[in-house]
Amino acid sequence: MTLPMSEVFTSFQDYLNTEQELREEIRNIVKDIEQTAREILTTLQSIHHEGGIQEIPASCQKARTLFGGIKEGYKKLAEKIPADHYYRYHDHWRFVSQRAAFLASLTIYLESGQLASRETVAEIMGVKVQRDEGFHLDLEDYLMGLLQLSSEMSRFAVNSVTCGDYSRPLQISRFVAELNAGFRLLNLKNDSLRKRFDALKYDVKKIEEVVYDLTIRGLKPETSSTNLMGEGDISEKA
Amino acid sequence: MPYQERGHGRRGRSDRKHNGYHGGRNKHGVGDKAQEFLETTDTSSPVIKSFQQYASELDFKHDKFERIVKLSRDVTIESKRIIFLLHTLDRESKRDAILAEASSRLTQLVNTHFKAIAKELKGEDPYQYIKAYTAGLQEYVEAVTFRDYLMNNSLQSWTMIQQDLNYRNSDVPSEDESVATTEEKAIATCSASSNDEDGSFKTYVSPVDYILGVADLTGELMRKCINNLGSGNIEGCYQTCTFVREIYSGFLGVNCTGLKEMSRKLATLRQSLSKMEVACYTIHVRGSEIPKHMLADVISGTQGNFLEEDEGFY
Repeated sequence: MTLPMSEVFTSFQDYLNTEQELREEIRNIVKDIEQTAREILTTLQSIHHEGGIQEIPASCQKARTLFGGIKEGYKKLAEKIPADHYYRYHDHWRFVSQRAAFLASLTIYLESGQLASRETVAEIMGVKVQRDEGFHLDLEDYLMGLLQLSSEMSRFAVNSVTCGDYSRPLQISRFVAELNAGFRLLNLKNDSLRKRFDALKYDVKKIEEVVYDLTIRGLKPETSSTNLMGEGDISEKA
Repeated sequence: MPYQERGHGRRGRSDRKHNGYHGGRNKHGVGDKAQEFLETTDTSSPVIKSFQQYASELDFKHDKFERIVKLSRDVTIESKRIIFLLHTLDRESKRDAILAEASSRLTQLVNTHFKAIAKELKGEDPYQYIKAYTAGLQEYVEAVTFRDYLMNNSLQSWTMIQQDLNYRNSDVPSEDESVATTEEKAIATCSASSNDEDGSFKTYVSPVDYILGVADLTGELMRKCINNLGSGNIEGCYQTCTFVREIYSGFLGVNCTGLKEMSRKLATLRQSLSKMEVACYTIHVRGSEIPKHMLADVISGTQGNFLEEDEGFY
């Protein structure tokens, strides 16, 4: 029943070769997805530019079109990866999936002001939600994407004030507070997600500072002040 | 209240940094805002609801991972003990008894710990949890291959080890047809599917873990070779040396770029092998002039410089 020694090693070499080939193919596909993701990121950066807020619908439209390329890339990946081998090669696309999840959730936010659910993000990326359904969006990658979103939001809050939009920071504050509340429900291990989560409080703080600055200077639009979270005590103090 | 802190602006932030607050539970700072939010918001808000779902998914995954790590640790300990037991095998009289005990303890591992791991992996992607049990698995491979070498003077193949760790729902270790494809094909395509349609399940043995286990085995064989000298078993010494030499040439044929651990182990392997080759040389050159029981001393003398680099062994 036992093999000659050399065969043990040649079959191992075969195994490695097969794996190497597949990894090479994965790398190529992932490179394409990364390129498209960068294009979407550049497109959506326009929100920070002066006058970019008016162009939001157009930017989102363009991003949506570009997501078609991402979908295609993931479709190709899904064909390459056999079932139950997702986590074997996960490192190759972990980063780009986080980036794509971030971009998808940013698009959804800009379109509707809502926090994109995992289902929505997965749908935009063209992947499944659960592992047993096939090539899926790993939960932690999705959550990482949301944390990237919060940093982008804090930047957006600052820049929207510069552009003279005083109501948006309040809306962002509310949005990120909800996100923060959600993350607090998670028991995070001492891993990368936890470290990234620790940075969330600085994003929240930054946004609150913006809201505070607006409030004490009386720049806060009257209409939206009553229904926003935590704004009551600011006005009292002011 | 969060806005109390706002009063001392920047200072408030650095304070929070230094008191080691890591945002675990709602205590101070921005947490209040979130807590307030939780209190004032209907918990049926879709965001909160989905995060509750995410929390339970993450907990499930982390708990499973931890359980497997625990099992793996037990496997490591027991495998080390079995290897130690196998090292005491120097007299022919005890040989059968020791091999039988080692085998039964290995079977015990297969039927308890590995079965538990296999159960945890049922329906999962084994690669998601492979880091949790890779250490235990490598140690087990080392023990199994060592036992097999002592029994049959051969190297147990990956396929054999994987077969031992396949289970059926009926609790009979499976020797089923799906695994019995040709050896190379099985290892090359290497289906990691953890649950087949017939309800069987397994602890997936990654070929990389197997090879790394074999690399560790050579360290044990080196000890065995030197011990053989001590007990005057010159024949066994040559035999072990030849066996390790074969493994070494096997490793040389494998392109191990990208496997960092592997090149490290290969360096150790080269060292072990040269120790053994020097030992064999000494026997050959001076064997006739020194009584057998003193040979070991002579050899450990010539090897002082090697042995210092040796990893600890208990």
